[in-house]
Amino acid sequence: MSSSIVGSLTRGCRTPSVNINPHPFFRCRTSLYHGIGKPPSWLHSRTQLWRTIGTSSSKHTPPSSASVSARRPTAIPSYNASREQMYKTRNRNLLMYTSAVVILGVGITYAAVPLYRMFCSATGFAGTPSVVSTSSGRFDPSRLTPDTDARRIRVHFNADRAEALPWKFFPQQKYVEVLPGESSLAFYKARNESKKDIIGIATYNVTPDRVAPYFSKVECFCFEEQKLLAGEEVDMPLLFFIDKDILDDPSCRGVNDVVLSYTFFKARRNAQGHLEPDAEEDVVQRSLGFEGYEHSPRAETKKVEGSKANS
Amino acid sequence: MSFGRPPSVNVGFKTTPPDRGSFPLDHYGECSKQMKEYMECLKKNSSTSTPCRTFNKQYLECRMSKGLMERDEWYKLGLGDVEDAASAKARVPSQSTST
Repeated sequence: MSSSIVGSLTRGCRTPSVNINPHPFFRCRTSLYHGIGKPPSWLHSRTQLWRTIGTSSSKHTPPSSASVSARRPTAIPSYNASREQMYKTRNRNLLMYTSAVVILGVGITYAAVPLYRMFCSATGFAGTPSVVSTSSGRFDPSRLTPDTDARRIRVHFNADRAEALPWKFFPQQKYVEVLPGESSLAFYKARNESKKDIIGIATYNVTPDRVAPYFSKVECFCFEEQKLLAGEEVDMPLLFFIDKDILDDPSCRGVNDVVLSYTFFKARRNAQGHLEPDAEEDVVQRSLGFEGYEHSPRAETKKVEGSKANS
Repeated sequence: MSFGRPPSVNVGFKTTPPDRGSFPLDHYGECSKQMKEYMECLKKNSSTSTPCRTFNKQYLECRMSKGLMERDEWYKLGLGDVEDAASAKARVPSQSTST
């Protein structure tokens, strides 16, 4: 309502006793009444105003007080117009600033995802692997130069296989003593003792766990299908190295023995057509070194259980 | 694993895939000779890998030439400083292993 608007405009000013259409110029001219106090009547002060305005601007002739009181207080169109103009520009500026802030906020929200990714890949925050090129980062040639003054670490080899897999799988050397940063070769042998061609898939595990981040395999035979014809025997090589950073890790100071364990499973195709070990989930996770950890059930098993419960 | 999850104790457990994937199977035993040489060298040197790096390089060279491994620079495989088997044999003839 107009009275509320007027009330807001006269905030901080002394409001006249009679608030019927006060002169717009009244609104915050507190400077005029400063020290004087409440004006005796708005009529009186208005005439005073007219006298002061009359001397300063010669645009309008100040009408008599009687005619002023009878008329609506829109008698100073130039001030009115300039005030309107001022408010208009102010409002437009405010609109521009607000819309700019809103658009900036939305833009930053959209840009946040790729920016965070760039930040993570540049700094390696939260374990993001650096993938500048295939042969940099973890497998940079500088990582593969042996540290000749360091202690030797003995890598023991272990081989397991699932009962369902009729293969003979064993390492050809019990252990190898390597320097950190030295790429070494190791061999396993596998023999298919059945009368059928069988596809196997291997998983691996490194113990103790704190060595796992430093144990890097350049090339091996794990996680991909390996088909052995009936009765075939084959040598499976493995090229690996222990990263030199293990020497800087205080928790790995006493580590002189590492056990690398491979487990071969029979491969089957899952619902998506990918090869996976043909064994129970907990058996596979144990071979990966995750026994005793709680795992959320896979989506396929969840669905099966749900349909079983429904039927 | 999920991207952006807070780092925890298990972060180091990630089983990372090998850099160059998997060795193709040597079904015909084309590089068995080099493999046997390497194993003998290991036995002789009490399973220390440093003296046997020449045979390491020989085995991988055999694999690359037979198409069982992608050919790559030696320094990228960490074997850039290993001298070739031929020059090593010429230099120290007494240490050559049985062929």
